[in-house]
Amino acid sequence: MAVTIEDLRSIPILAQTVPDDLDTLAELMVTRFYAPDELIFLEGNTPSGIWFILKGQVKIIKVGSGGRIQALCIASSGKCFGTCPLFNQNGNPANAQALTEVTLLMLPQEDLEYLMKNNIRLAWVLLKIYSQYLAQLARLSESLGSLSVSDRINDCLLHHAAHTDSQLVVSLTHEKLAELAGTVREVVSRHLSELAEQNVVQLEFGRIILLNPSALHLPCLAEKK
Amino acid sequence: MAVTMQELKVLPAFSRLSPLALEHIAGTAHYLPFAAGFAFYQQGDPPTGLFSLLSGQVKFYRHSKDKIQILYVLHEGSTFGAESLPNDMPSPCGAQALTPGTSIYLPPNELHKLLLEHPDLLFMQLELVTKQLRQFTSLVHSLAFRDVSARLAENLLKLKSYPTKDGFCIERTFSQQDLAAMVGSAREVVCRTLKKFEKEGVLRLERSSIIICDLNRLKEIADQEIR
Repeated sequence: MAVTIEDLRSIPILAQTVPDDLDTLAELMVTRFYAPDELIFLEGNTPSGIWFILKGQVKIIKVGSGGRIQALCIASSGKCFGTCPLFNQNGNPANAQALTEVTLLMLPQEDLEYLMKNNIRLAWVLLKIYSQYLAQLARLSESLGSLSVSDRINDCLLHHAAHTDSQLVVSLTHEKLAELAGTVREVVSRHLSELAEQNVVQLEFGRIILLNPSALHLPCLAEKK
Repeated sequence: MAVTMQELKVLPAFSRLSPLALEHIAGTAHYLPFAAGFAFYQQGDPPTGLFSLLSGQVKFYRHSKDKIQILYVLHEGSTFGAESLPNDMPSPCGAQALTPGTSIYLPPNELHKLLLEHPDLLFMQLELVTKQLRQFTSLVHSLAFRDVSARLAENLLKLKSYPTKDGFCIERTFSQQDLAAMVGSAREVVCRTLKKFEKEGVLRLERSSIIICDLNRLKEIADQEIR
């Protein structure tokens, strides 16, 4: 299936891209479809390129040798993932797996490499993308290193809440929250029950409604996302 | 005093730049001598320019509430800064000197202009950001899957050391508190773990240095993951 200019315009980071560059990208990119839970790429494998999410959600995870999972992020439509392995030969730094049915646009590695060296406008876009990843990973490192488990869960709730029917809703399972916060499902469930008792959240099947989001805020993490 | 092209070329990040890019950088960069404790920038500051360390050590960190997480320690020859320049956002991290030293500084407005004029400089910046991404990903891995002993061992291996007749010597340019902030633990826990390592003969604690006596054992400890 051919990639259209409209597809590309729906990706916020590409919104400012000049029409000529969008044409170039549309010509080079390929569309890929994945079913829920399907692996998109594996840690250590040779990277295939950079990916943009047109529809659906993707999780980027690290797996410990004991099988535990730490999510680096859960990315939704409009976002991109896949780092630039151009500069070292270690392969993909993490796994990417479809959470829902997803439609992805992929810019293959060779083309990415060529554009980076020959199109300064697109290289600048790439620098913007990687700088965003950097801020996100710095935040996650800090959260794992210096926040308590409860604070990490609260932080994840705030970070993944979306407005639905004038309510703030987190549509993640307890297990997914545990992967994001770097803990196990039981701890998340216990913490959420406590929050529910304090009327901070309301637990429903498959979703969590934030009734009092300000109670979840950490004083100094309340910075611009 | 103007920065010379020869001096720029010695810095790993700049080594592959074209003479033209180097000339333009040398024309706009200046020297920045700093004392221990000097704050290059703080988390939340507007985008900064680029710093290259000719000498000295710098800690790169994030903080919230009253806790600090050191993301990594930079040594001479390292280039850092401008993390949030492309997106014009607040700086995601802070950078503070652990020792006195000298840096070359390229201010943000000039850097922005040069990045858009010199594809090779933009490529270099992409390279720097990608390297940092790798470092952060591996830090997340350690914090998520390794215990305090393994993380402490890993950090000791990363710190600058030189060989002596007793083993590898790490000079204490950092406090116990800094070490705890690198490991992502409390000072007391790190202190106790260091003493445990000493008892096991892995290292020896001295007033102004840590001597690694059994490097192989320290590497083994660093590689252990929580099951």
